[in-house]
Amino acid sequence: MTVFLRNRIASSAIPLLFVVLGVFCLARLAGDPVDLYLPLSATEEQRAEFSAAHGFDQSIPAQLWDYLGQVVRLDFGESLRTGQSAGEMVLTAFPATLQLAAVTMVIAVLAAILVGSVAAYRPNSAVDRFSSLLAMTAASIPDFWFAIVGVLIFGVSLEWLPTSGVIGGPEIWVLPIATLLIRPFGVLVQVVRGSMVAALSAPYVKVARSKGASERRVVFGHALRNATTPVLTVAGDLTIGLVNGAVVVETIFGWPGIGKLMIDSILQRDFAVLQAAVLLTAVTIFALNIVVDVAHALIDARVRQPVQA
Amino acid sequence: MTTKSAVPPTPSPGRARASLAALVSTTLLLTSACAVANSGDGGDAGSGAGGTLRVVLGQEPPTLEPCEASLTSTGVVVRSNITEPLIERDPTSGELLPLLATGWQQSEEDPTTWTFDIREGVTFQNGEPFTAEDAAFTIDRAVNSDLACNVDGYVFGDMELTAEATSTTRLTVTTGDPDPILPLRLSFVEIVPRTTSTEAKVREPVGTGPYAVAEWRTGISITLRRNEDYWGEAPAYSTARYVWRAESSVRAAMIDRGEADIAAALDPEDATEENSVPYPNNETTALRLDGTEAPLDDIRVRRAISLAIDRDGIVDTLFDGEADPAAQLVPRGVVGFNDELSPTPYDPAAARALVDEAAADGVPVDRRITLIARNSQFPRVAETAEALQYQLAEIGLNVRIRMTDTAAHLQYQLRPFPEDAGPVALLIMHGNQAGDAAFTASQYLLAEGPQSTFGTPDLDQRIAEADAVAGPARQDAFADVLTHQDETVAQYAYLAHMRGLLGLSPSVSYEPDPATGDELRLAEVSPAGDPRPRDED
Repeated sequence: MTVFLRNRIASSAIPLLFVVLGVFCLARLAGDPVDLYLPLSATEEQRAEFSAAHGFDQSIPAQLWDYLGQVVRLDFGESLRTGQSAGEMVLTAFPATLQLAAVTMVIAVLAAILVGSVAAYRPNSAVDRFSSLLAMTAASIPDFWFAIVGVLIFGVSLEWLPTSGVIGGPEIWVLPIATLLIRPFGVLVQVVRGSMVAALSAPYVKVARSKGASERRVVFGHALRNATTPVLTVAGDLTIGLVNGAVVVETIFGWPGIGKLMIDSILQRDFAVLQAAVLLTAVTIFALNIVVDVAHALIDARVRQPVQA
Repeated sequence: MTTKSAVPPTPSPGRARASLAALVSTTLLLTSACAVANSGDGGDAGSGAGGTLRVVLGQEPPTLEPCEASLTSTGVVVRSNITEPLIERDPTSGELLPLLATGWQQSEEDPTTWTFDIREGVTFQNGEPFTAEDAAFTIDRAVNSDLACNVDGYVFGDMELTAEATSTTRLTVTTGDPDPILPLRLSFVEIVPRTTSTEAKVREPVGTGPYAVAEWRTGISITLRRNEDYWGEAPAYSTARYVWRAESSVRAAMIDRGEADIAAALDPEDATEENSVPYPNNETTALRLDGTEAPLDDIRVRRAISLAIDRDGIVDTLFDGEADPAAQLVPRGVVGFNDELSPTPYDPAAARALVDEAAADGVPVDRRITLIARNSQFPRVAETAEALQYQLAEIGLNVRIRMTDTAAHLQYQLRPFPEDAGPVALLIMHGNQAGDAAFTASQYLLAEGPQSTFGTPDLDQRIAEADAVAGPARQDAFADVLTHQDETVAQYAYLAHMRGLLGLSPSVSYEPDPATGDELRLAEVSPAGDPRPRDED
């Protein structure tokens, strides 16, 4: 298992480096922050001073070298916009997104397993068709539209939920999580259903039934366990995709997470914050990939077998 | 390679259950350990009961540093709420009114020197008394320090300025050249105590204003509490809380739902008569035509563009009637506004004739012009750009649209302009919050102005002359500058003087003025049906 883990970490670290380099260079190609931060009538000297103070007067490789040196010392620089430490800003915002993503994925996976299994148990039944329709609809609705309509219906018309915000009881979670949930739920239901249909028609299920195992044990003990592998893989990918959804949800609902921070720092060319946010997100995704791989290996012996052999 | 049979390993439901339990408990732990969401009444902005005024902005202020108050997102919270200037400008009449200075005058012997009488009996929110020394310190900090304050570049440019306290109640300000509008410029300097850092900008300032910063929960809210020792009339609300939502529809929903009392900048589609009030916001939209590139270097083509724009149509259909067709870059109320200018009539036939005439003289009128506009610059900006593209195509010009974000738009707006961009028609929105056309002329009309593509020596001369005079002569001189720009330069095809929409709950009473978007004075807000400020606690 240690060898397996080591190999996985090594192979994931290379893309991580590419992400960091890519964001660093692309951000700098997208425009000069001087115009955004200095008054419109700033003189040439003021501009030069600003550039020098933030190192923008150096060549991109020189800036990159300085940046990497800072990152090694865990110094992520200062936000151009707020003057705060970029590392602190990102660490303050990150838990908010993590909370949303974690709760969303747990609900999405559990709900998808339930709905997907029920649908797969009797393929082409009315229940199956209804759940497929539900899943397709959920996976296709644009999250932006869903969020705004949710606010208008449940926030303004029915007055059941607050329109937005993070201060309040459990009700404040409902719309943001529902918005984030729809796509992963829709996709996962289809994946669970597909792999459960295959698993339930596999020979070992017939064997289990012929041995007199209970239906509950057949479905959840035998079939589901084997159907879990693709679900886990897809759920891992969808969790990574939640970062995109988080941008929309956090922007609309005023949730102070890393998605909102990232979009603001892109628009404001706040390089230090953008880089810190991308780095932290990339490390998280990298860690998540390893967790998914390990879980995969734990569930399915075939995955870890070649490494051990 | 080992081949495994399809028979699964013996299931161990115990382990599966344990994994599930671990997953759920980890999630719950994460959720509770780093909880963003806390319990509280009535959402982020509070319940509104007990004298809390709830304001929802479009974005979180990057800082509350007073010398950055010319930035809209900072100024809307700071100005006249937390800090105050020596002099304030009435946003409607343009008149200068005493605030922390009770009077001022220009020296007759030496017109580079102004003296200001400083109000007595005023204290800062930290308890320190306010004196002329604080005023001198603040001006010096904003204009002469290395902080690169926004107000310095916006209002003072590269002016030489020294401020000195000759007694606790007397301030002297000396400029390099005589400056007839120095008091107006100083109305942008928000006064801070002399203990404020000159090395770094401050995020949470101390001032003399009716409200003090109580708490800033990064990303969530800013709470101000009433300054009980305020020297002026006490404001009605004991607390004000700002939150921010990027979406206009959500801001409007918060007003409709009663979660907020005031909402900044609603889009027309979200505004109703019940949840909002329109107000002139001093912003003017126009196409800036790059007179250094053919075919825009030909004045007939520039005039044709102005004639081709159906201003009434755009105002009625795209701006929902909440704007007025414009004939100049500054709106009424700004010194220099020329009452005699009227919007260019919509006359596509005349426009087409001018383009044909230019074409006959060899002007390459079919060269592609790039119309650059900025996303979210104003409501329905993309549709406006499309309408303009269509109207210009109708008179035989070849126009493509490029929508950009703010940073990319600024590259085209400010000198040095990108090279090889070809002929550019830039959709601009100019807000003259200073109330004097000098601020517009120095930026947009001078031949080498930071936001101007070209000009003429004659126009530059007229601007310099207008800038040197005061009083009614100044009004006439700048009005003449605006006429002259239209007749001989025609760098701009004006669109409209815009109006903003302020979300306003029926539970509060407030009348927005042209400065509301930049300076939302909380002390002017009172509970509905009670126009006079009163104590609620």
